[in-house]
Amino acid sequence: MEAVQKSYINDRIHVTLKPEKSRKKFKEAFAYGIIGLATAFTVSILIWIIGFIFIQGAPHLNWQFLVKDFDSISSYVEVRATEGSENQLGVVLDFKNIHQFGGNDKTVPYITKIESTSGVKDALDRLGNPFPLREGDAIDRISGKTTEGMSMEEIYETINANTDKTMLLRVSREGGGIYPMIVTTLMMIGLSLMIACPIGILAAIYLVEYAKPGRLVRTIRFATESLAGIPSIIYGLFGMLFFVTYMKLNYSILAGALTLSIILLPVIIRQTEESLKSVPMTYREGSLGLGATKLMTIRRAVLPSAIPGIVVAIILSIGRIVGESAALLLTAGTAAKIPSSIFESGATLTIKAYTSAKEEADIGMACAIGAVVIIIIFILNGSSKLISKSFNKSV
Amino acid sequence: MANNSTDMRANKKREFTELVAKYIFMFNATIAIISVVAIASFVFYKGLQPFFPGNAEGTYNFFDFITGLEWRPSDDPSQAKYGILFMIVGSIYATFGAILMGVPIGVLTAVFISEVAPKPVKMIVKPAVELLAGIPSVLYGVFGLGIIVPKIMTLSPQNQGQSLLAVMLVLTIMILPTVITISESAINAVPESYREGSLGLGASKIQTIFKVILPAAKSGILTGVVLGIGRAIGETMAVMLVAGNPIAGIPTEIWDKTRPLTTNIAMEMSYAFGLHQEMLFSTGVVLFTFIIIINLILNRLTHKVGEN
Repeated sequence: MEAVQKSYINDRIHVTLKPEKSRKKFKEAFAYGIIGLATAFTVSILIWIIGFIFIQGAPHLNWQFLVKDFDSISSYVEVRATEGSENQLGVVLDFKNIHQFGGNDKTVPYITKIESTSGVKDALDRLGNPFPLREGDAIDRISGKTTEGMSMEEIYETINANTDKTMLLRVSREGGGIYPMIVTTLMMIGLSLMIACPIGILAAIYLVEYAKPGRLVRTIRFATESLAGIPSIIYGLFGMLFFVTYMKLNYSILAGALTLSIILLPVIIRQTEESLKSVPMTYREGSLGLGATKLMTIRRAVLPSAIPGIVVAIILSIGRIVGESAALLLTAGTAAKIPSSIFESGATLTIKAYTSAKEEADIGMACAIGAVVIIIIFILNGSSKLISKSFNKSV
Repeated sequence: MANNSTDMRANKKREFTELVAKYIFMFNATIAIISVVAIASFVFYKGLQPFFPGNAEGTYNFFDFITGLEWRPSDDPSQAKYGILFMIVGSIYATFGAILMGVPIGVLTAVFISEVAPKPVKMIVKPAVELLAGIPSVLYGVFGLGIIVPKIMTLSPQNQGQSLLAVMLVLTIMILPTVITISESAINAVPESYREGSLGLGASKIQTIFKVILPAAKSGILTGVVLGIGRAIGETMAVMLVAGNPIAGIPTEIWDKTRPLTTNIAMEMSYAFGLHQEMLFSTGVVLFTFIIIINLILNRLTHKVGEN
């Protein structure tokens, strides 16, 4: 009985050795497969997101998009009557829907094509300044008559009914640019850094140069870690309660920047700490040994060598400011105009991308702004890498 | 003599400056503490007011708040309903789903970066992950609204794209960079001798990864998971765009619309006032409580890692 079993085992071992090996091989290949698949997923999602945003945003993306106002402008213009064309303006018109902020959609006639002989290219505004009409401009009034509710035939009739050499039009040009948001974002970056950088850098100096291990340091570290873990919507709630309501700053750039500077604290403190720690002890010892005081040592010996690290902290902070949205939504508001002071409300690029997607249901616009933001983030990432690379080399 | 006294005066002045400087540095370091305390106390104070009698803006029963299944703000206090249980459940489901999908993908990507990838491939994948981390959350939402939501609409039996599933998918993508970076550094921190020992005993690379390295990096990876949970539960803007945000109903299917805690606050804060506004702060308190718990767990974890 025993002998039979033994031989069975031996037999089995002998026989199954090969399949066992191939199964192992298969398992290995499978494991490599899922590892590769997971990585492929991560990378392709990134490409998909960036591709989607750039492709959707591409139609908007041009120089005009960066320098145009977001809101539309309207003006009266005087146009020379065009001869030898189907209509006196020498343009082809079509209807389009204009989305009005806080109101209903409006159907207006707009210029789809301008003939080469057309007089609209030499149009003058009321002050006599040139105001050449472009394709896309909407015509609100013709010789004092509103085009609202007119059919296309009636519009052409009104145009051709003109007997003077010139014609008075009221045109409106859609904004659709992001210039105000760029200005607001820059203001937000400047102001937040002005508040957060001194606090963060001084705090880091304390933690690295002065503090002795103990309860205070532990509490400070716990606080910075906690700050890093609080979601931005909670910052928004606090900012709204404290800066907007209690300090009566209202929805403003200042309230937003103050809220942001708390968000930035952990980033700046941590980065600056790292760079201070990497300054060799001998620098300090040398300076102190030569009779310099601690403050002088920090100012003359430690800080200059830590500057690249601090620059990286600032770049990371800029990235954070550009990307921030929930906290700013509750503290800086969503006004799409250039704030005349830091006490006025203003939307940053990211906030505008959100309101475009959510309230105006304009994915194209959101993506166009998104593309600009991604380009900014890309540049920031690259430059912070370059700086830390050259810094590491020099040490 | 005179020389000596000016020396002493100069010394005194210098000492004084040094002392002042020290306290200025210290004060700035304590601003982090002040901020945390201020944030917690302001939000909690404002958010808990409605549950205590004598509140100027009116009161609301805490039990009704925490177990309510309907959010229907109204100027008439007797009509208003501020229940958030369905939001809590929605938030937890969404976070759970994101962790379920995001953690395996993230950890495996981290394994790829630190153990498998040849250097040139690593040079592409790593910056890609960093860029993914840098994309603002709104843009994830825009991507979700433009790609994920329409896709789900074609698949969903309920013919709607904004759903719990959409939230889960967006959050999965969003926690990836967190999970990947933390796991990667945890894996890198595993001593080289572990790998050498395992390989020397005849184990294959895959066996070494799954039987030796990942178990050794466990607590670091867990830190990444907890950070991921924190990010997922606190995420607002991306989620708001794809959640659908109904005013009632616990999501029972992944196709159902959902309204996480965060979006409730962000959606209505701009126009809310009185009791309604305070109830939004109460929602914030619940969210904050979750975050505090997560932070405490995180604190435990990181300290444990530090001890090891």
